[in-house]
Amino acid sequence: MIEEWRLLDTGFHDAFYNMALDEAIAVARSKNLVSNTLRFFRWEPSAVSIGYFQGMEEEVDTSTCDARGIDYVRRRTGGGAVYHDRDGELTYSLIVNQKHRLISKDFQETYETLCSGLVRGLRLLGVQAEFKRINDIVVEGKKISGNAQTRRMNVVHQHGTVLLRVDPSLMFAVLKVPNEKIRDKLVKSVEERVTSLNRVLRRDIGFEELKEALTKGFEETFGIRLTEGTLIKFEEQTAATLKAEKYATREWNFKR
Amino acid sequence: MGKAQYKVEGGKLIKVQLETEGTRVKKVKITGDFFLHPEELIEELEKGLEGATLYEQVLADRIEEFIKKNKAVILGGSPEDFARCIVMAGASDD
Repeated sequence: MIEEWRLLDTGFHDAFYNMALDEAIAVARSKNLVSNTLRFFRWEPSAVSIGYFQGMEEEVDTSTCDARGIDYVRRRTGGGAVYHDRDGELTYSLIVNQKHRLISKDFQETYETLCSGLVRGLRLLGVQAEFKRINDIVVEGKKISGNAQTRRMNVVHQHGTVLLRVDPSLMFAVLKVPNEKIRDKLVKSVEERVTSLNRVLRRDIGFEELKEALTKGFEETFGIRLTEGTLIKFEEQTAATLKAEKYATREWNFKR
Repeated sequence: MGKAQYKVEGGKLIKVQLETEGTRVKKVKITGDFFLHPEELIEELEKGLEGATLYEQVLADRIEEFIKKNKAVILGGSPEDFARCIVMAGASDD
């Protein structure tokens, strides 16, 4: 019997609900209320998320965000600041029991394993994607996907992005990009470090086509079957609570 | 207040804000795009560095000990990298 995981497509939500729902699913998984889950989601309005350890004011131009109606939120995972464009990016989450055969004690190894599903999916589209340590997927050396992981309550939660199109000027407007980092990589602009599916494939790829390819990539690589499911009441209620009491609060978002 | 940032080669960016008292750490805030598991240990780690002498080895040892004691994991930087960044922040403080 092939192992079944739940596939969720939760569509558009604001940043606070999106991050709350990720945590809610992890809580539900830890209580064994749901199976291992792959979730696809998008951001409306566009938003910036920052890593757990980052300073909001250090990373994000919050006044520009406010003026343009862009949300900003702190994630439960570490890593860097990301601009999530409503129309330019697909986000996924994997929520998996820590005892699962795919999960290693070693974080780096687990990144590589879980990202291999994405890599396979992108290759099915004809994109020469490769995993790059620590937590990126690149095409011809340029980043196309960033990923971040946490584990608590015996559940591994990895979420990440896949870029369909990039607007570097907007990215620069909302993020305070550290000079050091750019200098280190010996490149001048985000255009040289980041790429997108549309650019690589030289055509407009749709979100549905991408989701289908990634789903297949995960299925083949992980040896699982993804079956479309729905959120359970517990997840919806927990997400609403977590949004109101955590992710939408200034206390959480500006705590560092 | 001293400030520094340090990009770990092949790793992540570490940023430090530091208040000193003589040659010791009074208060330190460590931010950046690294990973520490479990995440909420960061505040405890910062607290644990208060009072430490601003020498790279001293700070690195404290961080290493803290990691071991808490069975924590850092990705994107070593205790030495964090220590170096703190010392850099100390040096930038007038």
